[in-house]
Amino acid sequence: MRKEFRLPDVGEGLTEADIVSWHVKPGDTVTINQIIVDIETAKAVVELPSPYAGTVSALLVDAGQTVDVGTPIIAVEVPGADDGPTEQEPARQEPETAEDAPQDTPPARQPVLVGYGVKPGSTSRRPRKKPPTRPGSYPATPSMPGAGGGQGAGPASPPRPPFPSGIQLPPGVPAPPRAPSAGQTRSRALAKPPVRRLARDLGVDLGGLAGTGPEGLVTREDVERAADAVTAAPGHGPQAGAAAQAAPGPAAEERIPVRGVRKHTAAAMVASAFTAPHVTEFLQVDVTETMAATRRARELPEFAGIKVSPLLFVAKALLIAAGRHPMINSSWDEAAREIVVKRPVNLGIAVAAERGLIVPNVKGADALPLAGLARAIDELAATARAGKATPADLAGGTITITNVGVFGVDTGTPILMPGEAAILAFGMVRDMPWVVAGELAVRKVTTLSLSFDHRIVDGELGSAVLRDVGSMLEDPVRMLAWS
Amino acid sequence: MTRITLSRALNEGLRRALEADEKVMIMGEDVGRLGGVFRVTDGLQKDFGEHRVVDTPLAESGIIGTAIGLALRGYRPVCEIQFDGFVYPATDQIVSQLAKMRSRSRGRVALPVVIRIPFGGGIGAVEHHSESPEIFFAHTAGLRVVACADPADAFAMIQLAIAGDDPVIFFEPKRRYWDKAEVDLTAPPSDALPLDKARVVQPGDDVTLLSYGPLVRTCLEAAIAAREDGKSIEVIDLRSLSPLDMETITASVARTGRCVVTHEAPVYGGLGGEIAARVTEQCFYHLEAPVLRVGGFAVPYPPARTEDHYLPDLDRILDAVDRTFTY
Amino acid sequence: MAIPPYGHHEKEWHLTAETIQLLTPEGERVDHPEYPLDGADVRGMYRDMVLVRRIDSEAIALQRQGELGLWASLLGQEAAQIGSARALSPKDMAFPSYREHGVAWCRGLDPLRLLEMFRGVTHGAWDPEEHKFHLYTIVIGDQTLHATGYAMGIQRDGGEDEAVIAYFGDGATSQGDVSEAFAWASVFNAPLVFFCQNNQFAISAPPERQSRVPIYQRAAGFGFPGIRVDGNDVLACYAVTRQALRAVREGEGPVLIEAYTYRMGAHTTTDDATRYRLASELEAWRLRDPIERVRSYLARTGEADGAFFEQVAAEADELAVKLRADCLALPDPPPLALFDHVYAGHNAVLDAERAQYAAYLAGFEEKGAGR
Repeated sequence: MRKEFRLPDVGEGLTEADIVSWHVKPGDTVTINQIIVDIETAKAVVELPSPYAGTVSALLVDAGQTVDVGTPIIAVEVPGADDGPTEQEPARQEPETAEDAPQDTPPARQPVLVGYGVKPGSTSRRPRKKPPTRPGSYPATPSMPGAGGGQGAGPASPPRPPFPSGIQLPPGVPAPPRAPSAGQTRSRALAKPPVRRLARDLGVDLGGLAGTGPEGLVTREDVERAADAVTAAPGHGPQAGAAAQAAPGPAAEERIPVRGVRKHTAAAMVASAFTAPHVTEFLQVDVTETMAATRRARELPEFAGIKVSPLLFVAKALLIAAGRHPMINSSWDEAAREIVVKRPVNLGIAVAAERGLIVPNVKGADALPLAGLARAIDELAATARAGKATPADLAGGTITITNVGVFGVDTGTPILMPGEAAILAFGMVRDMPWVVAGELAVRKVTTLSLSFDHRIVDGELGSAVLRDVGSMLEDPVRMLAWS
Repeated sequence: MTRITLSRALNEGLRRALEADEKVMIMGEDVGRLGGVFRVTDGLQKDFGEHRVVDTPLAESGIIGTAIGLALRGYRPVCEIQFDGFVYPATDQIVSQLAKMRSRSRGRVALPVVIRIPFGGGIGAVEHHSESPEIFFAHTAGLRVVACADPADAFAMIQLAIAGDDPVIFFEPKRRYWDKAEVDLTAPPSDALPLDKARVVQPGDDVTLLSYGPLVRTCLEAAIAAREDGKSIEVIDLRSLSPLDMETITASVARTGRCVVTHEAPVYGGLGGEIAARVTEQCFYHLEAPVLRVGGFAVPYPPARTEDHYLPDLDRILDAVDRTFTY
Repeated sequence: MAIPPYGHHEKEWHLTAETIQLLTPEGERVDHPEYPLDGADVRGMYRDMVLVRRIDSEAIALQRQGELGLWASLLGQEAAQIGSARALSPKDMAFPSYREHGVAWCRGLDPLRLLEMFRGVTHGAWDPEEHKFHLYTIVIGDQTLHATGYAMGIQRDGGEDEAVIAYFGDGATSQGDVSEAFAWASVFNAPLVFFCQNNQFAISAPPERQSRVPIYQRAAGFGFPGIRVDGNDVLACYAVTRQALRAVREGEGPVLIEAYTYRMGAHTTTDDATRYRLASELEAWRLRDPIERVRSYLARTGEADGAFFEQVAAEADELAVKLRADCLALPDPPPLALFDHVYAGHNAVLDAERAQYAAYLAGFEEKGAGR
């Protein structure tokens, strides 16, 4: 039988070796372990002993050649009974392949310091009979409730008192609940997390559904079908129905991560809304005179180059009102349990910047002349809109104005800036029917809404401030009288 | 029934084991004449002699290495590592030899060695005395890793560990050594819950809270507090960290739909991650929320004055419980 | 044998300051008053050394032919191993490192067990008690603590004439575990011979990198005797080990023997010793060959003739042929065997992994492990 000896990994980190010199030639008799060739690795010359006894039939590589590990280098005719296919040594790649016919050259292993070396990778998969199933090996997912769930301790555990180790139950705390007895189980549905989320968004109770998926799984379709059925009943608005009829699939909703400005705004709103008790009062005001004053101011040289809008007059009115009712410009200090009345008014202006709503403030706005106030508001708004508001701009506000009229609405219930006691919103200025001196007339009307922190500002004070602002806007001359 | 401390319960369990099998030995630093720095081996050398209760040289690798030799000779050594932070010099003998010798010998060699390690923090100690190294050993095939949490269970578990033929790393929550409870000192260990099982120590319906060692008691306290929020927490003492009793764990989570794991060891790379992965895989359709973990931060154990910020406490555990309800 | 009480020792130890030799490199007998050579089976030791050398060279060839992943050759250390192992009584327990194929031979372990390990069929799995020869320990020095514990066990169960021998190399003496073993064995007076084969190399590092003083003197620091013996002299190794075991059995505590020998081959078959060793040094030690001097002695004294030497050589050849055939016939372990024997008791997690892997394998169209 012809046997081939492949260049072995002699474990010196070589992937190849040079054939230095042959010690045998075709026709020579060789014995086991007789040195047949010198190879040179990167580090040293190594003698290779013959694994076979027999006659050399061919030298498969020449002296001077560089040979990869795994390449057949010599063929030896070994006397033997069977004349089968060429047997190649070593054949130790797979444990049960002794019977495999001539295989492809097994991939040479990357030699390492200890052992056989690293096998090279492969880029194709072995063919499978069938795809994997779930569960592969783990015990089957605990099935629908009622099938063995509901028991607490394992079967072999002896009864134990509920709270060992000297834990003292606080007085008045009732004894712990008994373990749920076998058979008494909660009704819990099986569903993938996205389906649970969908059910919650659609207002569907999973527990009441029969799942049509494997193992009783509630599927997305099950949930949507249930939502459709629900919207057929009265009392459900078009929104739920529309959502249920939306095409199933990943495009049913868009998710926008809450980051940066929006995130902080949200956090601030939550903090404020859930800390200070908000009360909002509304007042519709005839601002015809203010609009005229606005137009007149624009013509004045003191206001040249400055954007003048009704906002300026609303701001001024609020500042004057705060002067008359200092308590409106304050803050609730929970830790010290004090109301902190602030002296300068740092007037916050809500600006809709690209990244979200931000509220920079004009420091000491109450001390500014009207033109100075106008300029300050203008510059601050421009800076904020450009996204260049500094932390100093944003900190230290004591009272805030927000113009919701630019959004095309009349009014709202503004949320206090954290740490402030009041916020004034005003809406669109509309032409509205109004009663002037007993007669119907068309006037410019807007709605003011003042939210205040009821811990600091009671209804009387809040109303007084709102009335004052309204009065000044009705008759701007009052601003002169009260400042 | 007798009302005794965890430390005393272990002492009684060791005594039973020494009485039951003359091949059982105890070895460690200061375990004999001193009775152990926590008095867990108090009185044993007096009754069983200094060749069965051995005061060793100050050499952790030596303790475990010679214990292996004694086990090869047919003894059943119970080693004590004086503090968790001192186990590391013995790691080679534990991981390279103790864990592997049965497999290496294809079952011909058994090493029934128990290594007792007081672990965990909350005792206001200096560095290296508050570690939680259990994951290194849970990650090592061939070892069993367990942690006791209360006196009655400790009394049984130490006897079961010694009686078994596998090497066991036996963690004892040192800050609970002085907790007292009723223990039936006549109860045979064969009646107790097997060593590889978890125990539901407090049944509940709303969320499964898994822990072991020192935090089991904290979890029970949290369960009491949670009832005022209207939540019913099921507290499970894992007891066996390797292997995990997934049957008990998954049966619970399938019912509650929510799972929180807490341990003193850092969350990063800790046992909670292994549990979370398995629970997620095996209870995927039951889960209302991801499995949350409460544990130490990815920092070395801090000085005593700040350890309360590092250790999971009732509030942090309940915060995690609350968070499972925000999904 | 008395186990000392928990407290301090008070005995003084007598140290030797020379290398014990009973047979010169030329094969001439030398007597030493403290180490009589009684009952030494020199012909038997010669045969042992020749056969062991032949097993070793066959294993190297098998590795070069790709049949073993690795082999750690004992070439040049035959005398140290055969001499010391022949001094053991059948009840003594030996703890080897991973090169003590000569000791394995003397203990009656089938050399095929060793080849299984280096071939990667097992991690070296045999029953230590069956041949009183512990498993090979690859982590350097760990076995010295195991040997110490075993000796402490002997002290407790009254094995009056049982002793332990722990084998390790010069490199191992730097390991902490070896120092700990010296400390424990000395303070507990354990019945243990520490047998260090100083073959002059820890892969490439010389003994001077491990210790400032000759290794046998290290024992003095721990309070027990250290003796240096010519590690290429099988008679001296035999006599010194016998003497040490006698002292150990009589409860005198541990003894350190440093067998001063030479590793003629490379550290293992993956090592290239030409990078750190001069050929001239190798030549010098060839002149001190352990087998040659015994052959000279036997021939000169007439204790053996040409027929004996031929018979031994033939026996060696036969042994090699059989070993080769047995090695090539070794089946690889079946894939699921890797889950066996990890634990004594039941482990549900491992059982689940096993079931999962079995199912995974069954899912392929044709058999065979992954590529």
